[in-house]
Formats: sequence, C-alpha cells, structure tokens
Amino acid sequence: MIDQNLSRRKILQQAGAGFGSIALSQWLAGEWLAGSDREPALNGGMHHPAKVKRVIQLFMNGGASPMDTFDYKPELERLHGQMLGPKVKPEGFTGPAGSVMKSPFSFAQHGESGRWVSSVFPHQASIVDELAFLMAMTTKTNVHGPASYMMNTGFMLPGFPCLGAWVSYALGSLSENLPTFIVLPDSRGLPYNQKGNFSVGFLPARHQGTVVDASANPPIPDLVADKKFAFADGQADQETQSLLLEFNRRHAERHPEDSQLEARIVSGELAAKMQLSAPEAFDLTRESETTHAAYGLDKPETQDFGSRCLLARRLIERGTRFVQVWSGPQGAVNNWDNHGSIEKELPPIAMNVDQPTTALFHDLKSRGLLEDTLLIWTTEFGRTPFAQGSVGRDHNRGTYVTWLAGAGVKKGVAHGQSDDLGYQTAEGRTFCYDLHATILHLLGIDHERLTFRTSGIDRRITDVHGHVVHEILA
Amino acid sequence: MSAALAVLIASAEDEPSAERDDYFRDHVEPLLKKRCYACHSHASELMEGGLSLDWRSGWEKGGGRGPAIVPGDPDASLLIRAVRYTDPELKMPDDPLSNEEVAILERWVKEGAYDPRAVLPSADAAQISTDWWSLRPLVRPAVPDTAATNPIDAFIRNRLELEGLQPSQRADRRTLIRRLTIDLHGLLPTPEETLSFVNDASPDAYGALVDRLLASPRYGERWARHWLDTIHFADSHGFEHDVFRPHAWRYRDYVIDSLNRDTPWDRFIREQLAVDVFYPQEFTLVPALGFLGAGTYDHSAAITAPMSFENLDRDDMVTQTIAAFVSTTANCARCHAHKFDPISQEDYYALQAVFAGIGKGDIPFDADPEVGAQRSRWNALKSAADSRQSEILSQPENQELVAQYERQRGEFAGWQPLTIETFVSTHGQTLQRQEDGSFLASGTAPEKDVTSVTASIDTHRITAIRLDVLSDDSLPMKGAGRANNGNLHLSEFEIRTFRADSQQGERIAIARATADFDQDGWTILHAIDGNDATAWGIHPQVGLSHFAVFELEKPLVQEPGVTLHLLMKQIHGGSHLIGRFRLSATDGPADLLFALPADADAILAKSREQRTEVEQITLSAAILKQKADIELRQLPEQQKVYAAGAVAQNERGVVRFDTPREIHMLTRGDIERPGVVIPPGTISAIDQLPSRFELPEPHAESARRAALAVWISDSTNPLTWRSIANRVWHYHFGRGLCDTPNDFGRMGGTPSHPELLDWLACEFREQGGSLKFLHRLICMSETYQQTSDCPAELWEADPENVLLARMSRRRMDAESFRDSVLLASGRIDFTMGGPGIANFSSRPGAQLTPYLNYDDFDWDGPGAGRRSIYRVVWRGIPDPLFDALDFPDLGLLAPKRGFSASPLQALTLLNNRFVLHQAEQMASRAQAAQPMLDDQVRVAVHWVWQRDPTDDEQTQLRELAGRQGLEAVCRLLLNSNEFLFVD
Repeated sequence: MIDQNLSRRKILQQAGAGFGSIALSQWLAGEWLAGSDREPALNGGMHHPAKVKRVIQLFMNGGASPMDTFDYKPELERLHGQMLGPKVKPEGFTGPAGSVMKSPFSFAQHGESGRWVSSVFPHQASIVDELAFLMAMTTKTNVHGPASYMMNTGFMLPGFPCLGAWVSYALGSLSENLPTFIVLPDSRGLPYNQKGNFSVGFLPARHQGTVVDASANPPIPDLVADKKFAFADGQADQETQSLLLEFNRRHAERHPEDSQLEARIVSGELAAKMQLSAPEAFDLTRESETTHAAYGLDKPETQDFGSRCLLARRLIERGTRFVQVWSGPQGAVNNWDNHGSIEKELPPIAMNVDQPTTALFHDLKSRGLLEDTLLIWTTEFGRTPFAQGSVGRDHNRGTYVTWLAGAGVKKGVAHGQSDDLGYQTAEGRTFCYDLHATILHLLGIDHERLTFRTSGIDRRITDVHGHVVHEILA
Repeated sequence: MSAALAVLIASAEDEPSAERDDYFRDHVEPLLKKRCYACHSHASELMEGGLSLDWRSGWEKGGGRGPAIVPGDPDASLLIRAVRYTDPELKMPDDPLSNEEVAILERWVKEGAYDPRAVLPSADAAQISTDWWSLRPLVRPAVPDTAATNPIDAFIRNRLELEGLQPSQRADRRTLIRRLTIDLHGLLPTPEETLSFVNDASPDAYGALVDRLLASPRYGERWARHWLDTIHFADSHGFEHDVFRPHAWRYRDYVIDSLNRDTPWDRFIREQLAVDVFYPQEFTLVPALGFLGAGTYDHSAAITAPMSFENLDRDDMVTQTIAAFVSTTANCARCHAHKFDPISQEDYYALQAVFAGIGKGDIPFDADPEVGAQRSRWNALKSAADSRQSEILSQPENQELVAQYERQRGEFAGWQPLTIETFVSTHGQTLQRQEDGSFLASGTAPEKDVTSVTASIDTHRITAIRLDVLSDDSLPMKGAGRANNGNLHLSEFEIRTFRADSQQGERIAIARATADFDQDGWTILHAIDGNDATAWGIHPQVGLSHFAVFELEKPLVQEPGVTLHLLMKQIHGGSHLIGRFRLSATDGPADLLFALPADADAILAKSREQRTEVEQITLSAAILKQKADIELRQLPEQQKVYAAGAVAQNERGVVRFDTPREIHMLTRGDIERPGVVIPPGTISAIDQLPSRFELPEPHAESARRAALAVWISDSTNPLTWRSIANRVWHYHFGRGLCDTPNDFGRMGGTPSHPELLDWLACEFREQGGSLKFLHRLICMSETYQQTSDCPAELWEADPENVLLARMSRRRMDAESFRDSVLLASGRIDFTMGGPGIANFSSRPGAQLTPYLNYDDFDWDGPGAGRRSIYRVVWRGIPDPLFDALDFPDLGLLAPKRGFSASPLQALTLLNNRFVLHQAEQMASRAQAAQPMLDDQVRVAVHWVWQRDPTDDEQTQLRELAGRQGLEAVCRLLLNSNEFLFVD
C-alpha cells in the first residue's frame, strides 16, 4: 500500500512539505486536512470547485418498480393482458415473461413540473418540483447481486470499492468526531451481497463504511466497551487510554522517522474524541416531537426508515461525509423485490420510505443543509412491464428511475425516457457510471482522475465509462 | 405501440460509451496509426515538434504550438487545420489525407475527441513486444563479487554501494526472534523461547532457530494464509446468496500440509490444477483441487442467468490461476487485447476454454488411502464390465471372483413363493390367483393402479424379495404389462411390516434392486428412488417374463403376529400396469441374490466347458458388475472438498458438464456477441513454450487443466519461478523485489533488484522448488537480520526501503495479532486441521445467507482459542476485528495486505469483545503465575514485549493496575504499538 501512494507522495514532497506530515495525512485520509481548510477555493473539491460536500443516498433494495411509482405508462393500460414480452426467458429473469400488466395504482400529475407520480408516493409527490429525475437508468444484469454491486461499486463482481469508500478516499472527513462514511441498513437485515455493497475493496481499510445498527447502543460498533468489562469503562477507560498514548508516544520517540507509529497515535486521539461526540450525534431524543412526527417516528410503518433518515441528517450535519440509508433487507419479503404481487407488496414498503424521505428533504432544506448536500433516491434495477405469475413483476435491467436533489442539481426536471411499455430505455439513457460521474462531479472530482492502482490497473469507479449528466445540473 | 415493439425486438445492449469507443477504435485510431504515428508517436525515432498522437495526453499537451486538439471545436484545433491543408503554415502529413479521412477526424473532434488511451503507450496492443523483464528467459546471473558470503547480501550490498549507502547493523537477539517468529509462525515468541535464544552462546544459534521454526507445523499455518489470500479463498460464496461451504476447509488443510511437507513448487502447481490427472492414485491429495473452487459463486445468477454466470465464473478461475502462478493480468484481455502486455483476446479465451468443463461445488474423495484404493479397484472393474473389456474381465483374479460366485450360487437354496393372504387393486383391476401362485390382472385396465399385497412370513428370515412379471397370452403383446405395447411401469416398490396390534406399518429399507432387464432410462433403481415420477420398464423386451430382486438393508426376522405388506405403485398412467406377477422371498446370502440379465442367466446354466469365450465374458461382465457394485456399496462414505469438477454438487444440486462448453471469442466481452470458437490454450507471450494445447479429440476436460499445469510448471517458464520467488520475498520483507506480486506486466512495478530476483528464482528452481530452502536462504542473509532502526539520512535517501539498507518495521497482520493475543492470554489452542471454527453466532436469514453476530460468541467455548487460520471466513460478512486490521475483501485476489490506521481501528482494538475477554484472561494468567502485583505486571509485559519493563513503565503500569485492575494493564499492553509492531 505504501508504494501505491508513492507517486502522490512524491508530488506532495516536491510541493515542499516535510515527509512525515504528508505520510501521516495519507494514512489518516487527511482526516481534517482534505476538507475545506486546505483548499478553500475548491470548497473541498479535488479537481474543480465542489457544489456538494456531503451526500445522503437512499437505496431501495430489490429493484423498485418504475411503472408503479414515477414512470407513468398509459400504454400499459391499453395493452394490458397482451403477450408482448420476450418469447425466450432473458438471462436473469426468474421466470418466463407473462402478459403486459398495467399498474394497479392510480397516477396523477403533480407540481408545476407536472411529474406523474402514483398513489404509492403521496408525500414525494409534493416535492417533485425540487427533484431531478433520471427516468432512463439502465444496467447490465437482471440479477440482484451483480446489479447491486454495479450501483454501489460500478462493477458486477465483488471486491471493488463502493461510492462511499471512493468519496472517503478522495476527500476524507469533514469532522474529527465521526466516521467519514456510515451505512444504515434496514433493521430487518442486510441487503443482497451483505456487506459487499459497502466494501472498501482494494482501497485502504480506513475508508470502509461503518455499518451502524441505529437501534444498538453504542451505535458505532466498539465505540465503548461492553459494560461487563468494568476495567474498560468510564474512568478506567480514560486512564488506560491516556497512559496508552503516553507509552505509544514514548515508543514513537525511539523511532521518530516512522510515521506508521504516529498515525496510530493520532488515530487513538481521534478515537477518544469520537467517543465523546458520537453518542450525542446518535441521540434522536434530542430532536423535537414535531421533528419526530414529521419523519414518522410515531408510526410503526415509518419508524425504522424515519429514524435512520433523521439520523442521516444529524450525521451529515455533524461532519459525516457520506451516509447510505437502505430500505429493505434481502429476501422475498419486506423489500422492493415484488415478484408475487405488486398490488400487495409494493404499498407497504413504499409507505415505509415515502414520508421519511420527504421529511428528510424538507428538513435538509429548512436547515440550509441542502446548500451543500446531495440527496439521492435509487435502486439496483427496474421491473418488467410483463406480469410474473399473474400480478407480480420480474427483474428488469432495461430501465429504472433515480432521483437527485440538493446542491448543484436542477429542480423539477427529468432526463431520459423509457419506451412506451417501460421495458427498455428510449432516450437519455444513463448507467451507474453516469450517476457516479455526476455525483463525483458535484463533489469537485473528475471521475476519470480518481484512480487507485491495483493489480496492474488504475481502477476508477466508472471503469472506462461515465459521462456527467449535465442535463440535470444547475 | 410500434416503438414499444421495436424496442422489444431490438434487445442488443451496448456498453454505455461503446458507440464513441467503437468509433474511436474502428475509425480514428487506425487512421492516426496509419497516417500520423510514423512521426508523432513514441515508437517513432524522433517525435516531430514534440507532438505525440499515440495517447490522449500527447495531443492534450501538444507540441511546440500548444494543444493539438480543442475538443468540440474542429476549427480551433491545430490537428484539423493541419490535415485540412488550408493553412499555408500548417499542412500535415506530407501526403494529404482523403476527404473521408479528414471527415473522420473532424467528426471525432467535434463530438468531443473521446480518447480512451489514458496511459503512455508502450506499443501497439497487437504487437506489444515480449521483450519485457518478466518474459525474458530465466538465466542465472553471476553473483557480484563482494565480501558477502550469502549471495543475497552480495546483490543487495552491491547496489547499496552504487547508491552510496551502508547496510545497517544486525538487530539484537530479542528483535531477531520476535521478527523471525512472527514472520515464520505468525506468533510472538514466548518469554522462555526469547530468553533461551538471547542466551544461546553457540555460533549457530540463529541458524538453529530458523531451522526449528521451519520444522514446526506452525509454519504451514502461518504461510497458508498468504496463499489463500492470493487466490481469494474463503468459506462462503459471496454475492447475493452468501452460502457457507462446509467442505472448503479440506483445501485449507491441504495447503497447510503441503507447506509443512515442503511440496516442491512445480508439484504444488500440478496438484492444484489437475491432481486427478497427475497423481490419480493419491486419493488424499484430491483436496488440492479446492484451488479451482476458491473464488466467489453467484448462486442467483447461476440459476437465472446461466450464460453470464458461466462466463464470469470461468473468468474468475482464469484470473486467479494466471495471477497467482504467473503474476499476469490475463483478465485484462476479456473485452479487448491487453492494452499493455502481449496478451491477445484469443489467449484469454483459450484460457477460458481450459476451465470450460468444470463447475464449482463439492467433489468426493477418500481421505483414507486404503478405502481409496478399494474404490479405485472396484470402479475400474465396474467400468470394465460395463464396456466388456475382456482383457480385464478375464484376468485370473477377476475370473476367480466369477468362479467363486458360481460355486456359492450353486449352494444357494433358491426362492420360496410368498404365502399371499390378501391382494387388492385400489383402482378396480380384477386380480386372480393362478395355479402357479402368480396373479393375473384382467377386467378394465385403469390408467393407474396401486397393488397392495399382504403375506405371512413363513421362513425364519428374509434377506430379499423377488418380483417376477410374467408374460401371458391374455395380455397385450403377451405382456408382461397391460399397456398397449405390453410395457409396464413400476413407479415404486415398497415393503412394510405390520404388527397385529398396530395400524402403523414399519417401512423396510431396500438396499439394492437389480433386474434381469432394464428399459433404457427406466431402470429398476427408479422403483426404489422414492420418486413417483420415475419407474422401471421392460420395453422393448415385451412378451417375455422378467424379474427383479429387492435386497433388504437388514434381514427381516420372523416374529409372531407380524405380517409383510408389499405395495406396487404403477402410477405412470397410460395403463402401464403389471399384467401378471409372482412374489417370492429368500434367506440366501446378499451377494448372490442379484438378478442377472436373461442372457447371462442362460449362460450360467451351462457348465464352464460348454461356454464359448464370448459367453464367458458376457457372464463375467454381468457378475463382476454386480460384485463391484456390492463392494462399492460396502465402502465407507466419501469425504468432500469444495472445488470444481465436471461433476460437482452444491446447494443447487448436481452441476454436471458432460462435455466442456464451446468457448467463443466475445466481442467486447459481450456474451451476446460471440465470435470464433477458441480451443484450449494459454498466453502466447513465452516464446519457447507452445501456447495452444494440441489435445487429441475427444479428450477429457481434465486434459486441458493438465496441459495448463504443464505449461505453468515448466522449468523454463520464466514467469512461474520469478512469481513465487518474488512472493516469498514480499512476505519476508513487506515489499516484493517487484512490488506488484500479481502483475509482472507493464502496468506493474519493475524489480528493484532484477538480478537478485532472477538469481533467487533460479536457485529456488534448482533446489527442487523447496520453499523451506528459500525461506532459510532469505532469513539467513545479513540483509534480513539488519536492524529496522533508521537514521534520518537513511530515511531521506530511501523512505520506502527499496534498497534494503535496513529492515522495515511492520504492524502485525490480523491473524498474527489475534494469535499473539491468544498466546499472551494463555488461551491459544494448537489443535490442527478440521472443520473451521465459526467465531460468531448465527441464525437463519431471510433466504440462504444467515445472520452472523460476531459479538455474540463464547470466547471460552470449544475451539475458541484455535489459530486464526482455522476461522470460518465468511466472504460477505467479515469479522469486524479482522476488517479493522486490514484483512482483505476476498471478492478479489489479495496478494498484499494493506496498512491502515484510523480512529475506528483504534476503537476496535480497544473495545472489541475478543480483545477485552483476552485481557481478562491474560490478567488471570498473570495472577496465577505470580502472587505479587509487581511481578504480575512484569510477566504480562514479557508476554507482549519480550523484555523487562523499564522502571518508569513498571511504576506507571503498577499504578494503573492498582487503581483499575490488572486487566486494564493487559488491555493497554495489547493495544500498545510495541506489541503491534515488529521491528
């Protein structure tokens, strides 16, 4: 790993800084250095001025159906019941395609932009004028595992770093007090690929997503010792850590040249700070009853996702750079993988997220956080316009919907269009590469220049692809 | 509507940037090559005007006049102006381009001048030279003439001298034993071992230590993980359904054992790729094939998207094999020729063809060599019988088996008709008892029927039941079935016993069924497989009587009041019913009871002298087939290893490749754009080794793997020997002589000491590929024994320690940390081998992947103190403790471990339950060892630092212990940098 950073290090050395501090800053991912302090002109951006400093990504696990949510397809009503699907089962469909199936939900136009939204998203319908839709996202596979990897890491195979890890690698932390990249999975379980979706891949381990069980205490794993270990609690912990630092410093004094030792020492100091400040960040009781109600914390169907949305807001407010909030665990139920019945399976999961998502948007906006925060709603693929069984929908890589909102993003626009059935894209097609390139662009990063050398390749999250989708940028 | 249909029909999927990429590759690049490169490329003698057009940066920077292209603006682009020939100052090239050619460049520039050529070109992809350090023949370099006795030191010092640097002095003994023990065992030395080495006055104390460590089985446990990282071995699939592989550990044990036995490297290669071909009689080595199954498995894609799945699964095997053994990135040629190395797409797909006949899953083997030999013998005999290989069948020992059978069968009393008490057709056939004790069906023939018969048990015991189905003139085609064509289908044959006082029957297990004749695909085994959808049939030998024998698992012993109940399900439909049947029983010996085919039975009636040779072979084949079958059935069940094979079993069922898949070259790697068929082979960059395997047709798929193994393990393959020599160096020093152990290509590093690497590779090869020899050579060098202390000047001169004027200080990796903590706490358990230890609790998940909880684990439970190599490594749900200490994501190959430091790592090391629990255990151990607190602190320090505490340290730790307990001191020690780092 040391050698992999050599060229960057050499460049920095030539810039006149002493070796020790540079190496240190690398190992610490520039915890406090890479942010706004060092390069105020770039607002934390790496290659050009950044519009966005932090990101909240909402991920609908399982493949949210476009034609039952945001992608209104009147043609489905006309063709309902006709056998128009592929005759041979395409790779990744879990069954043969049935007849064309209209959406069981009613659609209406909303806002000045006149976006069509189905009845499953009454809350999000009220903010469509603030959102930018990618209406023709597409991917390379109809299978959950590789498709989730694609949307998170840009590759269909495991082992590659996810977007949050890349952002941490590029920009580091905004705060000494909290992890840079936090993942908040559904309390009912991890998504497809388990932790593979939040993997640091071949990037240095410190860019790993911190997976937080929002309901656990402590929320950050190992933030403090389990109470049963009295010798590691409270005063004992403080005394031990303080003497540990002293011993480690003394040890480092014998090897002043070795910045690995210094990196461990500074990490220990930061850990102590995190112990002090993290509990406050995770404490939702500090929020008002009104806020709780707005996020739906008072209702069982919205409590879990609402809590995590609220937590996401508190975290980015306090300096976490990238928060990913998941809706739905892996499995056949409680997620967006509605094979059995769209009419029965979609409304409950849609209700889980609709009010909290909208509340999060309003909250970010009213607090001014949207000035430099990006909010993204996405999923791994779409669903077929053809029935699976009689009333479900199968996986469809052809076309699906993502929306973005916040800093640097146009309001009330849509880019791309699916075909009349919502089976494939018709125009303005975007891949995960384009989404990732756009997100990085907003963060002040040129996706083609954010690379990491491994096994003979300068890897990028966008592989050899990716266009910034300027059509949705303000 | 038409638009929708058009989209439905046109399903071709392009890469997102495929269009512009295609345009560039198909039109722009060839044109630039043809017309511009002669003067404006790195290959040209002199780059005119300093302008290069063979990569993007070339025209971006431009020549003396500035950037050659302004993307989007042809008119402002110097290049376009030049080729248009309208600017009198700037006309290029001398021989003007055609209008079409100019238009191509104009369009390209206008559309943004997309140019994927991001890296300085070395040469054209198709003509990339094989003249590259790693591909050159391996020739032993002369050792530089220096005072050094170890050639390693000679090479290193020679270079240091050139750079004006001095080697560092030897490290002290405490440091050396700490370094060596971590390096070779992944453990810290005990205070006793340290003391004994520090005080060892013998001149060869150090060499003896190296030898002792290499001879210990702890060595294999340590170094196995290096190899497992390299090939991304884990105990679960990864991907959407992260399914556990309960038999993967066999391969892990194989690697440990091979390292401890010091298996020669070329043999290690052959074993892992094709032990079944090279060492077919060494049954215990079959787990070597676990190599093939080390990688990920996308269960979901395998079911729903099999073509993509197989393509990527083969890619996984190719990538792993070629990276691990020959440090080459063949996988870069999946979509296009390798951009930097001489690897064509044909080469890549030739490698895919090597693995085109296998799938991942469990394969069986015999861990007991005796059993393996038996199985091998009987399997060979069975297949000889099946194919009537007279040479084998007429061998004396086999003829003796035939004669033995005949003698015993002669003594056999024969079958007794069962005394039938009741008989019922459940679907209304009329069954009539005949004079010979058989039953004839008549009346309406229903579609299906179940015949139920009860009988008394007349004989003392029953070992088998015989069912005769008899021809009869009243039946269609004379039977023995009632279907129009005379056939019958016996779906299931079930035997139960009933006690007088019970309604519940007891099912009697049938061990084996044989019949005198089996319809193709409808064998008698189908009547005992528990599957109603399969059945025994007799077509086309209708009109004849047949019989079947059902051998019982255990003899049925006569008991008062117990009756026998036989059920004959005939539920195939189409009136495939039994027309006439007879049931009988015997108490004869099991291995004589099987039904012989009618022809063999007829031959058996003749005496040996009356038979022709052909008849004798026919009879022998029939008898020996059954004999082999009986013997095979009596052998203990086989063990399994998760690997890959032509037949393998996983959670989806049996994966079977009757013939290898045909491998096509894929345009852009897209399975929907197949090109020509590619035969098995390998990369063609090694000039002296043939890259296409000339295998006779047809050949077993294993022949392909074997051919690749031969290519890799060839003593003249320069990549192979450089690769492993460099890996070993990498683990000893923390940095390879080439610092990209999986990539010796042009995108990888170049060796810091190329002669040393070649010398080591040659020496290793000529010493029989002995890893232990190589370890010893390296560890005995003075270079290895240098101190890691580093004066500021030396740090300035060589911060990365490329030149090795000192040793590098390194943090322990995750395994060494955990195992050393266990050693310090006294909880380490050196039990070797066997199924992995799951250091988490688990409960079923929503689908196939369980929930794992690493916090909920009994750290005092059985196996909790086992070494980390024996841990269950769940690919997608890693252990947070290991994550924090840079354990790699095994979705990809991991030839190197990283180093990171972060607040979250600090928190994990401070508060992870494992660490806290072991701190408690360590404190108890110290308290048990010493009565006084002062001494308890002192021994604890010895366990982690292998030295006495200084007075200050002792005082401070003593005070902490006094206030917060000895556990707090142990927690501090386990978090200290002096413990974590190895000098």
